[in-house]
Amino acid sequence: MIKVENLRKRFGANEVLKGINFEVPPQTILGVIGASGSGKTTLLRCLNGLETISEGSVTCAGVHLEGGLAAAEYKKRVRALRLKVGTVFQHFYLFPHLSVVGNVIEAPVHVLHTAKKTAETEAYELLESVGMKHAARRYPESLSGGEQQRVAIARALAMHPALLLLDEPTSALDPRRIQTLRGLLRGFAEKGHTMIIISHSIGFLGGVSDNLLYMEGGLVVEHGPTDQVLNSPKDQRVKEFINQAE
Amino acid sequence: MPRHIVTLLLLLLTSTSTVSAQQTLRWGADPSGGAPYVYTDPANPDRYIGYEKEMVDALAEAMGRRAEFIPSDWETLVSALQRKSFDIIVNGLEPTGDRAQQIAFSNPYYVFQLQLTVRRDDDRIHSLDDCKKRTVGTLGNTAASRLLQQQGIPFRSYQDPVGAYRDLELKRIDAVVMDVPAEAFYARDNPKLKQAGPPFSRGTYVIGLRKGDDALKAEVDRAIEKMITDGTLEKILTKWKLWNEAQVEFQTSVKTKTPPAIPFEMTNSIFNWGEALLRLTRAALVTVLIALGSMVIAVTLGLPLAVGQWNGPKWLRAVCTVYVEFFRGTPVLVQLLFLYFGLPVIGIAMPGWLTALVGLGLNYAAYESQVYRSALDAIPKGQWEASYSLGMSPLLAFRRIILPQAFRIALPPMTNDFVSLFKDTSVAFAISVWELATAYRELANASGQFLLLGVTVSLFYLAMSLPMAHLARMLEQRLSNRATERHDDAEVPA
Repeated sequence: MIKVENLRKRFGANEVLKGINFEVPPQTILGVIGASGSGKTTLLRCLNGLETISEGSVTCAGVHLEGGLAAAEYKKRVRALRLKVGTVFQHFYLFPHLSVVGNVIEAPVHVLHTAKKTAETEAYELLESVGMKHAARRYPESLSGGEQQRVAIARALAMHPALLLLDEPTSALDPRRIQTLRGLLRGFAEKGHTMIIISHSIGFLGGVSDNLLYMEGGLVVEHGPTDQVLNSPKDQRVKEFINQAE
Repeated sequence: MPRHIVTLLLLLLTSTSTVSAQQTLRWGADPSGGAPYVYTDPANPDRYIGYEKEMVDALAEAMGRRAEFIPSDWETLVSALQRKSFDIIVNGLEPTGDRAQQIAFSNPYYVFQLQLTVRRDDDRIHSLDDCKKRTVGTLGNTAASRLLQQQGIPFRSYQDPVGAYRDLELKRIDAVVMDVPAEAFYARDNPKLKQAGPPFSRGTYVIGLRKGDDALKAEVDRAIEKMITDGTLEKILTKWKLWNEAQVEFQTSVKTKTPPAIPFEMTNSIFNWGEALLRLTRAALVTVLIALGSMVIAVTLGLPLAVGQWNGPKWLRAVCTVYVEFFRGTPVLVQLLFLYFGLPVIGIAMPGWLTALVGLGLNYAAYESQVYRSALDAIPKGQWEASYSLGMSPLLAFRRIILPQAFRIALPPMTNDFVSLFKDTSVAFAISVWELATAYRELANASGQFLLLGVTVSLFYLAMSLPMAHLARMLEQRLSNRATERHDDAEVPA
């Protein structure tokens, strides 16, 4: 579903991503793990076009974005890529001036030009699937962190993305809510959604992802099925990271 | 205290008392645009000249006093006299019924007539009767303005003849009525203007004194008579080309102690509260029109300025910054004067109300742009990123996501600005727009009802600004209430 090849990102002389390669098969969840400063957030921002790629390429659902393209062409492809990739931000960034359902239908109505009625019907279905239908007419300020997150997921899914990115989804949640989120995301994976989840919580990623990718210093250190990475990591650094977390 | 300081003080005290041994005659007049009465000598800007200046010097000499000129403001001469800023008014003052209630008058010293002036190419106006439906300019609070008011001719008051004649040239008004001395000095040689009909009406100039200053009045009257009988006044008037038939007749009647052949007219302003309230209401409407109009300009123009300065290319940012700093860094009064008097030089002559509307609009646009800019800055970057990642273009994100949020932040300071803009419309009085402040000044000067009219005008302002402030509060409350009300059912279990 998404293929990342030799992805590099430099901020001036500082190279944050030093050639990343991986692929996420359809209908699977990839967990990206690593310490702070390992480059995982920059990776996510390259995948949804918020950062400009310096070198290498990202291919997702037929959109091919690569470093070194002419500015206009690059811009065009970023717009196309963003229609394929949905993002749930760490701090959700719901639109405070719009109601919950308003948040969900905003982009379908104004970007995809879906009829408002149709968009609303679908929005209510999505809100039901994340357990937020009862709050459809409320405003984001009145929602708890977990509720806001679930609205943000519904908002992203309303655009029918081929790939859903989640940045540190557990940071604002208490343990009980983390449990709920895990069930929710697994459910979406079974319904056919493909996801990349960035987190430093091994516990959470272990329970939800099909594959794990460990990053350090802007490089992929280990990438494989979740069980294999957790139980028999090949690299010493991964072993230490897992041990420290426990 | 050291002894030499005491000596110094004593010296100072004695020296002032020697000067005051020769009593001063403190006289007040308005020297701005005051030719040929009293005005700044163009050849020597720290000296005042004029026929009345010379006359007062002669008068003081006849009284054995030393003349001291206190430059003042025409519109407020009477109240300044009452406040004892000076002891007499000598400024081509006409005795009027309303003034007679406030101050005392000396015997007349000059006979004036009025002259109607129009543009040279104008063949519609030949006398005041042709002006019933046109706007006539004149000096505020004069016999001429009282005459126009009496005859129901729409008029605009000016603070000096220069402004009136210039607006006549610029077609902002149709005619000007002025005392002949001023007309002779400021308009007669202007090739773009011409006299419409012969001089008309006949009134006198007198010296104004405080009521009860009877000794001073007797002294002044004696001195005037002496100047007339010994020919001093004739000499001064001749020098200033003001000596004419009317003066001959008048001075003869003084010398022979017979009443003049043609009686002098004394104009009275007819002040009644009904009319005053009507005129104040009109002024209030103009005030509202200017405030609303300029706010529309400010709110509309402020946005592109804010966006340009906030996120434009370098050159645009510079242009917007220059605009903002220029309009914030110079007084709005100066900007209005520039628009009103400066722009006609390049062929743009707007009427006063429009000048005020545009000027205040341009000025407040600078302030609104800063309100918008800080509101835009206050929107977290995440809101942009969330919009982009949903596939929105920058323009769509700005219009649908950023702007509505910025508007909520900007609303309280904007309403605040609107209330203060509303009060700032009063600067329009500098360009003779008939709004509330102008109305107050003129009605009060003409009637002496400073206190009551002041209260009335304040009530007018309050009646308009309080509902506005209330509306603003309601709007703000509704925006913030929505958040708090919703909070009550916030913690529904997940």
